[in-house]
Amino acid sequence: MQYAIETQHLSRRFGRTEAVHDLTLNVPVGSIFALVGPNGAGKTTTIKTMMNLWQPSGGSARMLGTDSRKLGPATLRRIGYVSENQDLHEWMTVGQLMAYCAPFYPTWDTAFGAALARQLAVPLDKPIKRCSRGTKMKAALLVSLAYRPELLVMDEPFGGLDALVREEFSSGILEAVGGDRPWTVFVSSHDIDEVERLADWVGTINEGRLQFAEPVPSIIARFRQVEVALGDSARLPSNLPASWLAPEAAGRTIRFVESAFSEADLGPRVHAAFPGALDISASPMSLRQIFITLARTYRISEKSA
Amino acid sequence: MLPFTVTLRPGLSVHEQVVFAVKRAIVSGRLKPGDEFPSVRVLSRELRINPNTAHKVVATLVGDGMLEVRPGIGTFVAGRSSSSAEDRRALLREDVERLAVDARHLGLDVQDVVDAVIEHWNRLNRPAR
Repeated sequence: MQYAIETQHLSRRFGRTEAVHDLTLNVPVGSIFALVGPNGAGKTTTIKTMMNLWQPSGGSARMLGTDSRKLGPATLRRIGYVSENQDLHEWMTVGQLMAYCAPFYPTWDTAFGAALARQLAVPLDKPIKRCSRGTKMKAALLVSLAYRPELLVMDEPFGGLDALVREEFSSGILEAVGGDRPWTVFVSSHDIDEVERLADWVGTINEGRLQFAEPVPSIIARFRQVEVALGDSARLPSNLPASWLAPEAAGRTIRFVESAFSEADLGPRVHAAFPGALDISASPMSLRQIFITLARTYRISEKSA
Repeated sequence: MLPFTVTLRPGLSVHEQVVFAVKRAIVSGRLKPGDEFPSVRVLSRELRINPNTAHKVVATLVGDGMLEVRPGIGTFVAGRSSSSAEDRRALLREDVERLAVDARHLGLDVQDVVDAVIEHWNRLNRPAR
């Protein structure tokens, strides 16, 4: 099996609103795939449809080779699912919850669960309803990792968690994946910082549509923050290359984001647009900066549509 | 804790940054031939990076002859002879490029740069007060 998750033209409509539209993506086995997008973009709907909590309105999704509409216990016990609003049997303690869940999963590893609980600093004998939000999320993660799922699906797991808890959370995930067992992680987030080092692939979703899905090194390689120093101040010409995003001019400085960077081409293209260019500098951008630029670009194109 | 220093900056390839940091540690003698090198799992956990990336880092370093894997025992710094002056110069290349570019932007000439380097070099050699 090459892909842990495959969606084909997946759509989900609520009334007249298409929360997810024509979404096609493939998550290779052994990768960490991050789905990023603003609030309301359709991340949760996508995940819930993948997990058969919603049925697709169109298209299809396959999880570990099984159609999402046919997900049963045999496949579900190979998938871990962590989401913000989880129903966690609040009257139980974490220890009781783990004991309760264990019999459902043949691959439950009690020793591993105990080690993870220590690593995540999750108290085992406090009733869940008296735990903080961060501890509840860690408990949900713990219960999902203890049976070493082949596929871990997480919907906005970092929301509202303080920095230390986020670190512990990421450590917990890294502890569980890797090694000889097959594993894949699919995580949705509107917070890009946690994702940058962990993700192999990033996909962006906006208004229910997938903008792109690409390996992280390749996105990082093609985006640059470019600054051009001119001899004299100039206004922006109207026919700039389409790959130049968010162009701005102030005095003798021109700034834009190049989204199709190539070392050899940048100089000639800049000189073609700005014959008076004296100096060009191109700096790498973090994923966060890239996504902010893209989000602003979408907003502008929506306004002018 | 890792036996070498690396500070990951966003926007640059994690793989490249870590490979570079390990090479620098080996060339500067911080890591010596025969030293044990962290496993992929430890690298991933300590640097908080994707295990696939950690795996690629080790594969690259093994391919470049900087690390060797002894099956069943672990990963070790390869027992090559000490680094050549050329290896060390290669590690400085990026800093030198940046210095040259910055100096030109400021309208300085190469002698200004050389003078500045000499001054700072001498400062380092003076005993601390």
